[in-house]
Amino acid sequence: MSQADLTPVPVETPTSQPWEPRIIAFLCYWCSYTGADNAGTSRLKYPANVDIIRVMCSGRIDPDLIMTAFAQGADGVMVCGCHIGDCHYIAGNHKTMTRMPLLSRVLQDFGIEPERFVHEWVSAAEGDKFAKLVRQVTEQVRQVGRLDWPGRMYRRGVGHGEDLQPWGDQA
Amino acid sequence: MFDATDSAASGSTPGVQAPRVGVFVCHCGGNISDVVDVKRVAEEAARMPDVVFTTTHMFHCSDPGQALIEQKIREHALTRVVVAACSPTLHQITFRRAVERAGLNQYLFEHVNIREHVSWVIEDKEAATAKASRLVRAAVNRARLLVPLDKRRIPIHPAALVIGGGVAGLMAARDLGDRGMKVTLIENRPFLGGRMAQLWNVFPTNEEARPLLSNLVRDVVKHPLITILTGAHVVNSEGVVGDFKTKIKIDARGVDERLTYPGNAIAACPEETISEFDFALSRRKAIYMPYPGCFPPIPAIDWHTCTKCGKCVAAVGGKGINLDAKSRELTLHSGVIILATGYDPYEPLLGEYGYGIFPKVITLQQLHRMLDPEGPTAGALPFDSNTPVRIGFLHCVGARQIDGVNAPQPDGKVKDYCARTCCTAAMHAAVALRERFPKSHITSFYQDMRTYGRGHEEYYEQASQQGVLFVRYSPWHPPRVDKDRTGKWPVVVRTNDLLTDGLPIEVPLDLLVLATGVVPHDISELVTMYSCAVGYDSFLLEVHPKLRPVELAVSGVFLAGCCQGPMDITEACSAASAAASKAAAMISQGQVEMDPFIASVDEEVCTGCQTCLTVCPYDAIVRDEARGLAIVSEALCTGCGTCAAACPSSAIQQAGFNDRQVRAEIDVLLGV
Repeated sequence: MSQADLTPVPVETPTSQPWEPRIIAFLCYWCSYTGADNAGTSRLKYPANVDIIRVMCSGRIDPDLIMTAFAQGADGVMVCGCHIGDCHYIAGNHKTMTRMPLLSRVLQDFGIEPERFVHEWVSAAEGDKFAKLVRQVTEQVRQVGRLDWPGRMYRRGVGHGEDLQPWGDQA
Repeated sequence: MFDATDSAASGSTPGVQAPRVGVFVCHCGGNISDVVDVKRVAEEAARMPDVVFTTTHMFHCSDPGQALIEQKIREHALTRVVVAACSPTLHQITFRRAVERAGLNQYLFEHVNIREHVSWVIEDKEAATAKASRLVRAAVNRARLLVPLDKRRIPIHPAALVIGGGVAGLMAARDLGDRGMKVTLIENRPFLGGRMAQLWNVFPTNEEARPLLSNLVRDVVKHPLITILTGAHVVNSEGVVGDFKTKIKIDARGVDERLTYPGNAIAACPEETISEFDFALSRRKAIYMPYPGCFPPIPAIDWHTCTKCGKCVAAVGGKGINLDAKSRELTLHSGVIILATGYDPYEPLLGEYGYGIFPKVITLQQLHRMLDPEGPTAGALPFDSNTPVRIGFLHCVGARQIDGVNAPQPDGKVKDYCARTCCTAAMHAAVALRERFPKSHITSFYQDMRTYGRGHEEYYEQASQQGVLFVRYSPWHPPRVDKDRTGKWPVVVRTNDLLTDGLPIEVPLDLLVLATGVVPHDISELVTMYSCAVGYDSFLLEVHPKLRPVELAVSGVFLAGCCQGPMDITEACSAASAAASKAAAMISQGQVEMDPFIASVDEEVCTGCQTCLTVCPYDAIVRDEARGLAIVSEALCTGCGTCAAACPSSAIQQAGFNDRQVRAEIDVLLGV
């Protein structure tokens, strides 16, 4: 598939509500999730567009999960973990450190702008940094606009499209 | 949308009850409900599949709040519980216990954080409610896929290993011994007592340090349950909590108890070296005792300096000294480990504030050795008590440094943290000097006076009352220490005094004492061995500074004293006692419980590619050569999930965080 095939298709915005970026943040439990808690206890304010998913270590964040998030309609994805050297599991974040830049490249090849995928270290004490990061990412995703990856794929006749089940495929 | 490999540990696993979800949304007394419409959150959650009960409560963490959860679990035969409240770091354990009391597996519980992550950070009520609702519904969807997990239980070897024979290690060993635990205390130097033995007098009680210390040493030495090994280094460590196998190497001491007159042997020794105990203020022999009354009360031989000339052996008639002694190795079994590896005083760089250039620039540690009646100068300073001697104290040397202002350390970083003890220690020494030299002029150059502890501020007050002059310098423009051009004074300190609006001043001094900071003792080998978390400041990092202050993230390893950060003796002892009681609590359980979020391999899917082996930080995955599969060792796995992310065929799944469970959250959050 050549790059030209992936020119974004114009997106029809739903008329009922103004579009708001939907961003998924994968946070490690020991540093970044606690850093997000710290933003809360410090009563720092940030927009409501980022939804946090907790994992034990940023090393658990399978690039596949990030792809899934985009494929399910996320406009942006954040990945946060402990600073290098602070990992609760010695070196789980080293794997994150190598995976994420690579993934960022791959995402760009798929036409997903680098602004939509942010990887940053946030320690348990850096509530301020987390709040700033959320504001910044929300703003930059808002700037690049809606992604609507599932819609694009559907219109192109590829990908999941109509197979999507509302609540998974379990009994 | 899920491939076949996702079905591991799904809701349809045999033996897992069908999901009947109960959702409990907490008001947190208004902390949440002032912003989030909790009723609407509950109502929207009720429309999710499998949800059979929803409610809200003013305080779910309260006893009635917990009782309500238990009651509803029984009443509605709930098999999954979702509580939306504060951060899981606070009350996840509270609710897990409540769920367990109601007869449900505690891992069928899902905690949603709608306080720290929603109501406290989002101002717009509508947006906050929508986000809370999304998070709760995502948690419900995830909860539907939860399976019961069992806490892992590992039997514990009823013995403790304390590494470090300073005041913190001694304290921890004594406390553990007093609780009836078997303890081995290892110290890598030949003598016990650590840094405290080098102090002359300690705040806030103005007591002599060594008599205080010897009381503690005596308790430890006499304790029937405590074994002390000096000159012992950790070589290797295997095993996990409950059964650590620590291999240690014990240096040959060369001297045993049969040596009755150590003085004769020491006097006979012709070899000398600088004394590290006296911070290079004196010299000691190759066979030496650092101070009278040290423990063990027999000398040790420094093999780097000793030439094995045999003069000491001849001087004592051959009894008690063996110059051919060999070091030995042994393996210690312990259920828990306490690290009390302590600190080193910051050694100023050559030329930093004139240190190493001007002989009259010394560190506070050296001043302590000089003031010590048993020290190298027998407690005398090189001044007459009647001369109007000028002494300066310079604070924050090797502490609170600023990148770009202060010269970086060999590791490229600056020591940017506060060493916490030196302000009070400098004030304590200033007061003592004023008493000893009533005609002295003492100037204290400081950034901020941080005499923070109980009884510490009094030294500052006392110093002020006794006429100590305070000069406040800006950390951006540290004072300069120069030669006096007139040649009258040994050193001159030049700075701008912020207390007089930045007036440039020049203070000539007879003696400048650098109140140096605290750096962790180099334990990089132990850090690697025990996979310790280390903070930016190179000190060991506890799990949580408030909730788990003396525990390392590695289960079964505890922190005592200055290995964790700068502490005074009071704090180091508190930390040591805390570590001892945590360790004793763990041992007395007989077994340890660990979170069950471990990885497992679906053997039918695993291709044996070994990618997981390369990413596991704990070497917990091995390859079963016969079958060509990866095998996870449950005892070594700590549950980070890195292998699960790396597995190209999704054959490895992390319990509690498997692909389906995480995707279930994504599905709802993105409104699929």
